[in-house]
Amino acid sequence: MSEDRKQSDPIMQWVTFCLGDEKYGINVMQVQEVLRITEIAPVPGAPSYVLGIINLRGNVVTVIDTRNRFGLPSKEPDDAARVVIIETEKHIIGILVDSVAEVVEMRASEIETAPNVGNEESSKYIQGVTSRDNKLLILVDLNRFLSEDEKAELDMF
Amino acid sequence: MRETKPPQRIVQQSLALDTYLSTLLDEIPETVEVEEKRKPVAKPADKPLEAPVQRLIVEQPLLRPLQNELVALEKPAKSQPLSIMPEWAQHEFQALFFKVEHLILATPLTELSRTIKIDRKPGKIPGQPSWFMGLLDENDSRIGVLDTGQLLFGKLRGSQRDLETNPFKSILITRDKRWGLACDEILSIGKLMPDKVRWRTSRQRKPWLIGTVIEELTAIIDLQELVPHRKRKT
Repeated sequence: MSEDRKQSDPIMQWVTFCLGDEKYGINVMQVQEVLRITEIAPVPGAPSYVLGIINLRGNVVTVIDTRNRFGLPSKEPDDAARVVIIETEKHIIGILVDSVAEVVEMRASEIETAPNVGNEESSKYIQGVTSRDNKLLILVDLNRFLSEDEKAELDMF
Repeated sequence: MRETKPPQRIVQQSLALDTYLSTLLDEIPETVEVEEKRKPVAKPADKPLEAPVQRLIVEQPLLRPLQNELVALEKPAKSQPLSIMPEWAQHEFQALFFKVEHLILATPLTELSRTIKIDRKPGKIPGQPSWFMGLLDENDSRIGVLDTGQLLFGKLRGSQRDLETNPFKSILITRDKRWGLACDEILSIGKLMPDKVRWRTSRQRKPWLIGTVIEELTAIIDLQELVPHRKRKT
């Protein structure tokens, strides 16, 4: 492969996870670890998208209810459920997902901008879409997963 | 001998058509929601021709506007505003007839690329409006599938449909292959002559409703005005 193509059309790795019928991808570079479901302590007065906090080797990590965030009906976590610990610009947070699937590689050119037909704010964390095994893969921009106000709110936990 | 009433006839056909379609397509106001549930809106599929027309004649509130129209008729009728009509509407065109709920609609074939049966769920994108059903990969195209019922009838009435138990069966794919309009049934293809259509003279409200096939009371849809325009993220 030529150096030019490596630079103009880089390969990126994505960790894919499932929520309901859909599959999502997040940048592997932002994933710290994947945990089995553990005890999540609820936080009184927390917004609805915050499930609670966990103790990760002495550090308090806020766990986000990803189903709530994506407007999906809630579901009791089962054995396949995982908390993916991710690193955003300033925060380390956990996101609860139905299951973690695999790590996939794809070129930047394979990613298409997601249509934005509604409220800009509500879907700004969708980085793009692509197809994998004849199924839609929705790529999530973790840096935009929470708004600045919401990030500031997390600092209070 | 009992006196028989003369047969009722439509005084102003164009107004009757407009009112009929408006009744079908208008979003139900919240204040009458309970009443509407008890007594559903007119079902054109059951009695597509007679029922709405008869109601237009006998109901008192419509008499006044009809009389006003009669006065206006003394002036020569203005020709159709061709400048606001799409090119395809200005001569004979082939249209695809399809059904969404009980409403029969038509759209020109030239605005479509193909139709497909729905054999899998579109991939739902978070944070999008309820009328956006999701994305579907089809023959190297990624199609945004739209809930045509919600687009036509408004969110209040359209979203009452449970798509899990009563899913749409087919999708009309637009010419640019970017959008798919979910529908219940694809009916037929037919030729339409412009003079057989009552064209709307103003499209400020419901700009996608471009006219009505007079004989069949079928709404003609301008897809370009119905589909959203994808915004690119900055």
